[in-house]
Amino acid sequence: MSWPIAELDAVRRLEVLAAAVPGAFFAESVVDAPFDAVWAVAADLEGELPRLLRNVRSVRILSSEGERVVADITGTFPLRERFDVVLRPGWCVMQSGRVIGGMAAVPDGERTRFAFLGALRGPGTRTAAPLLRRVGRPLGRGLLDRLRERVAG
Amino acid sequence: MDRTELVRAAQRGDALAMQELLGLLTPYVGRLCGPIALDDGADATQEALLAIFRNLRGLTEPAAVFGWARAIAVREAVRVARRARRAVPAELADVPAAVDVELGVDIRDVLDRLAPEHRAILVLRDLEGLDERAVADLLDVPAGTVKSRLFRARRSFRKEWGR
Repeated sequence: MSWPIAELDAVRRLEVLAAAVPGAFFAESVVDAPFDAVWAVAADLEGELPRLLRNVRSVRILSSEGERVVADITGTFPLRERFDVVLRPGWCVMQSGRVIGGMAAVPDGERTRFAFLGALRGPGTRTAAPLLRRVGRPLGRGLLDRLRERVAG
Repeated sequence: MDRTELVRAAQRGDALAMQELLGLLTPYVGRLCGPIALDDGADATQEALLAIFRNLRGLTEPAAVFGWARAIAVREAVRVARRARRAVPAELADVPAAVDVELGVDIRDVLDRLAPEHRAILVLRDLEGLDERAVADLLDVPAGTVKSRLFRARRSFRKEWGR
């Protein structure tokens, strides 16, 4: 005898996380490439994140132990932030004092469902949540477009 | 980080704590929502987790997070299952006794015959091991209602599966 168990894939879990973070924006799409090819790009934070996100200039991994990573990210959000990162296949959440980011991917046959979340931390984000979500949407769409280009390239 | 600290960090908006808590709660909520919402189990699990994380700041006893999440998950699972209109007619909606379930009956067949509210009683009693009083409190129904459903079930369910 076994009870039915409901499972929630990583993209749907990231959507839960996005709903729980004030002002977070969330974008989801299907990428026409297998999971391994998509995640190879997404998980290469040093090499690919500056190509995927226009407001990131460089990423430097400072330490990596299991799924825990510490990275220095230089960008336009403030100029330089240290991020604590959880990175494993299909799941990445990163956080600095002022920024939160996340990516999730699940296989969908020969294609891949991919999702991205972004948010600012700190005072005022709860009040400014509707504005932050609106402002963030193009960022999410841009990342998904560039991810497709990088995977195809 | 122990569980209380983890919940407190998540309540403060620490996204890494939130994702870790989400990782701990998702399988538990899925085990509760699966047998109640059946084919809509994934939707119910997501709705339940959304409700849990949206209300997390209101949780006053972080150590009790699983019990608190259980109440939300069961309510959301019943709501999603009702919305899906897959409830079965009331005459078959008696809850089987635990002893019958343990005989090796296909649990999915049993659950398909039950209304979502009755599946919730079965899950809370047999899967979670709650007593009738606790089940009644959690589902906000009189203890007598839980008791009578269980009593009727011991007769009718044995008859159903004894054919």
